Amino acid sequence: MLMRRPGLNGILLPLLVLGIILLLIPLLGMAGYRLRLFSLIFMWVALAGCWNLMSGSTGYIDFGPVAYFGVGSYCTALFMIKGGFPFLLSIFITGWICAALSLVIGLSTLRLQGAYFAIATFAAAEALKQVVLESDRVLDIDFFGGAHGLTLPSPPSGIFFYYVMLFFMGLVVFLTAVIQKSKLGYGLRAIKDAEQAAELTGVPALQIKIRAYILSSSLIGCIGGVEAYWLTYIIPDDVFNVMRTIQMVIMTLLGGMGTLLGPVIGATFFTLISEFFGAKFVYDYLILVGLVIVVVILLMPQGIIGTLVKKRGKSSWLF
Amino acid sequence: MAFLECRGVTKRFGALEAIRNFSFALRPGEILGLIGPNGSGKTTLFNLITGLYAPDEGEILFKEKSIVHIPPHEICRLGIAKTSQITMPFGTMSVYENILVAALYGQNLGMAQAHVAAERILALVGLHEQRDEPAGKIPAPLRRRLELGRVLATGAEVLLLDEVMAGLTPAEIEQALVLLKLLSTQATIIMVEHVMQAVMGISDRILVIHHGEKIAEGTPIEVTGKPEVIEAYLGKRYT
Repeated sequence: MLMRRPGLNGILLPLLVLGIILLLIPLLGMAGYRLRLFSLIFMWVALAGCWNLMSGSTGYIDFGPVAYFGVGSYCTALFMIKGGFPFLLSIFITGWICAALSLVIGLSTLRLQGAYFAIATFAAAEALKQVVLESDRVLDIDFFGGAHGLTLPSPPSGIFFYYVMLFFMGLVVFLTAVIQKSKLGYGLRAIKDAEQAAELTGVPALQIKIRAYILSSSLIGCIGGVEAYWLTYIIPDDVFNVMRTIQMVIMTLLGGMGTLLGPVIGATFFTLISEFFGAKFVYDYLILVGLVIVVVILLMPQGIIGTLVKKRGKSSWLF
Repeated sequence: MAFLECRGVTKRFGALEAIRNFSFALRPGEILGLIGPNGSGKTTLFNLITGLYAPDEGEILFKEKSIVHIPPHEICRLGIAKTSQITMPFGTMSVYENILVAALYGQNLGMAQAHVAAERILALVGLHEQRDEPAGKIPAPLRRRLELGRVLATGAEVLLLDEVMAGLTPAEIEQALVLLKLLSTQATIIMVEHVMQAVMGISDRILVIHHGEKIAEGTPIEVTGKPEVIEAYLGKRYT
């Protein structure tokens, strides 16, 4: 008997077409601000997607993903400056370092639940920020650059980052789609719905939560590394800024937590309104952004995609 | 040969001894009814066997090997699964997916094999019409069926059924009994039940537990005649 797998094929084709269009756009002469804006959207879609991969699928609200963004930024910067490694190799190693770090942090924090997990991950991120910020002064070394941060080698053109960010966005969306219909995905959803029942059904909860956490964290670390090279200059207050965490959370919630397209729609929408209002009302645009978010959440409490899915009456979490 | 065995198991919650020096042996293929007044320790015993609690004293053996301090998901994979008194479906997942998860992880199958196994179980417990409905939205009697389907799909050899008939109408109990008889051909069952005619009718042996201790053991007829049992349920006056 043929199994029904609703949605997956239906959604992958349009996404693939969109991907090809995005691949071609820069060749048709898009440049400057637009190119930068697109790259920025890709980055946030990827970051929100990573957060969704972990928190959206397990229901564990990770409040410290920025830890890996910051560590990733610094790892890549240090490999390139101190080690003289090429960019792509630095990103590659960064990913593995973040994976190892998230295994250590995950093993301890993922035994906690609810608000306690959120607080623990938040604390881990803040602690790592302090390590980067204070190590130089306390140990009297010249390594992390303290509050002044680090400067990376001068980067290639914007088109390069457009494609790198596009790659990561594509990778995250692809992984999310694959995981949803995989054994891992079903285990994660079971944990989200009823963790104890999942354990009693044979789901090794801690193990697969950690797998999702490592995947999410290492990708966030890579993206942090890319952004560091893109902006060429990193300071702890920026790359470990809790606002980045909050942005990942808000974008995902806006779009619809635990859905494939939620982070895509949410991050695109959020980045666009931020840029739009930011250009028009330089000083108080955040008030307007906040207002828009409040209105959207009031009208669509499950997020944009989440609410649409609910209205269409599908039980599938995949749009 | 004992299939599943408890030897002198004690479990304390603070000063309360929920299970005291409890021993029993389960024979392969039988249906063992576990009865006792509310708070006598039936659910605690199930939680000890499935690894949710660790005993303070004593041993729990499955196929001659100790399963104390083994985490619940591994005990499930070894072949012991339980339903919960309060049903805990994976609410946002469909009925079919609930069973699929159990097949995937309980039997540690790949996707393709798990789909085959899940289809079989779905038909067995008769939830075909509800297959695509979210498990959290189906009515309570069907949810109990789903719990049965889920433990079956884990491929467990020992099923611990905690009040699977609670809240069912007499007609639904009849259906449940038919299903249980069917299950007993595939697995060994320990069932906790308050619906007496059901548990007495279907069980090969009955174990009576009171204040965490075993007060009687035997066939349904032997057990109901024992003064200790009548006392535990009805008080001293009636013995």
